[in-house]
Amino acid sequence: MNHANIADETYDLYVLGVLDAEDKEQIDAHLREGCEYCTTRLQESEKLTAAMAGIAPQVNPPDALRARVLSSVVSPTRVHRPTYWIPALIAACLALLALAVWSFSRNADARRQLAETRNQRDVLRLALAVMSRPDTKAVQFGNLENAPRGRVFVNKHGTVIFIGLGLPNLPAGKSFELWLVPALGAPQAAGVFEPDDAGRAVQIASAGPDVANRAAIAVTIEPRQGSPAPTSKPFLVVPLS
Amino acid sequence: MGDVTDADLIGQLKDRESNALGVLYDRYGQVVYSLFLRTCRDASTAEDLVQELFLRVWNRAQYFDPQRGSLGVWILSIARNMAIDHSRSARVRFSARLRPMEEAEFKSDPNSAAGRPESGIDEVRTVRAAFSYLNQKQKQVLELAYFEGLSQSEIARKLSEPLGTVKSWMRSGLSRMRETIKAGGAK
Repeated sequence: MNHANIADETYDLYVLGVLDAEDKEQIDAHLREGCEYCTTRLQESEKLTAAMAGIAPQVNPPDALRARVLSSVVSPTRVHRPTYWIPALIAACLALLALAVWSFSRNADARRQLAETRNQRDVLRLALAVMSRPDTKAVQFGNLENAPRGRVFVNKHGTVIFIGLGLPNLPAGKSFELWLVPALGAPQAAGVFEPDDAGRAVQIASAGPDVANRAAIAVTIEPRQGSPAPTSKPFLVVPLS
Repeated sequence: MGDVTDADLIGQLKDRESNALGVLYDRYGQVVYSLFLRTCRDASTAEDLVQELFLRVWNRAQYFDPQRGSLGVWILSIARNMAIDHSRSARVRFSARLRPMEEAEFKSDPNSAAGRPESGIDEVRTVRAAFSYLNQKQKQVLELAYFEGLSQSEIARKLSEPLGTVKSWMRSGLSRMRETIKAGGAK
């Protein structure tokens, strides 16, 4: 089959996932040969089909959803007194804000620092909200003073909060990476994080609506920017059931 | 931040600048929420999916490769895959509870996504306009393929139409959309 005979909409059907197996194989064969023409047409079709999201009747999301989304997205976060869960988190919020206000008046980078601190505050607020819900399940791991220990909180909406204590120091250029481990299939990356000097860290992730299919969380040591798949043996695996 | 392009945004996301996620949400939040609502027909579930989508984007921004496509294509493709995954699982578990879209209460604001520079939203508006020129059959088969991930055979069975007819509607619909976009009639 000559790709010049392939109609443009055939590439659209390929990307939509509705092409007949025979036609799909013909395009796959061209792509395996590194056909630039097919690759370009495919990218054009990906653009068209992705934009088809707009054919849904447009509805304004609730105003509160924006704050919910932003507060669930975190940078690597440090917690100062995680042993005293809720009061400590509130105290940490206030301390971080006070530090930010103080810092704001002292250096030119304060605006960025304030945004980061607000982000951390939002993370802690989300953690508080999830941990206080009656449908949130808590799983404790580790019980030795000098070994990694902590809790994993999971709610029915799929929000997962990992709180770790006694985490080891990281080699230079490395971060911890959290993984959501399904019963079957590959682990899903859930963000990189670094503990504070005392080995304490919080990481929030979303397991999505199929949270019941997440069998465990795992933590590995990865390059600072994270990896799409684990590259090291997990030093921590916490079953969720 | 209002003039930030998608290319700038992905750089900021890779630098873990959380403000960039706010810009991204303002740009794509309505489209993906509408997509999820159209698919799952439940506002609470749609909100959960939106939250999960942006969390995925945040956690995976490091792996985004601009050589393979734009930020908008990436986000909207992830959203569609999530919507179809949810639709398929929901179809099995809750098919008896689904209600027709006509019963849903929509408050449309077609202008709210306008005016964003060099973003995938421009393509979304163009495709939406081109889609409006299709006839009802063409729209129906493309919606079933796009939102529910049904194959052409499954669509033929669902509509009780010959497979060849469904294929013809789908191809002619896509072809007409392309022609409309190319001719500038979708602006």
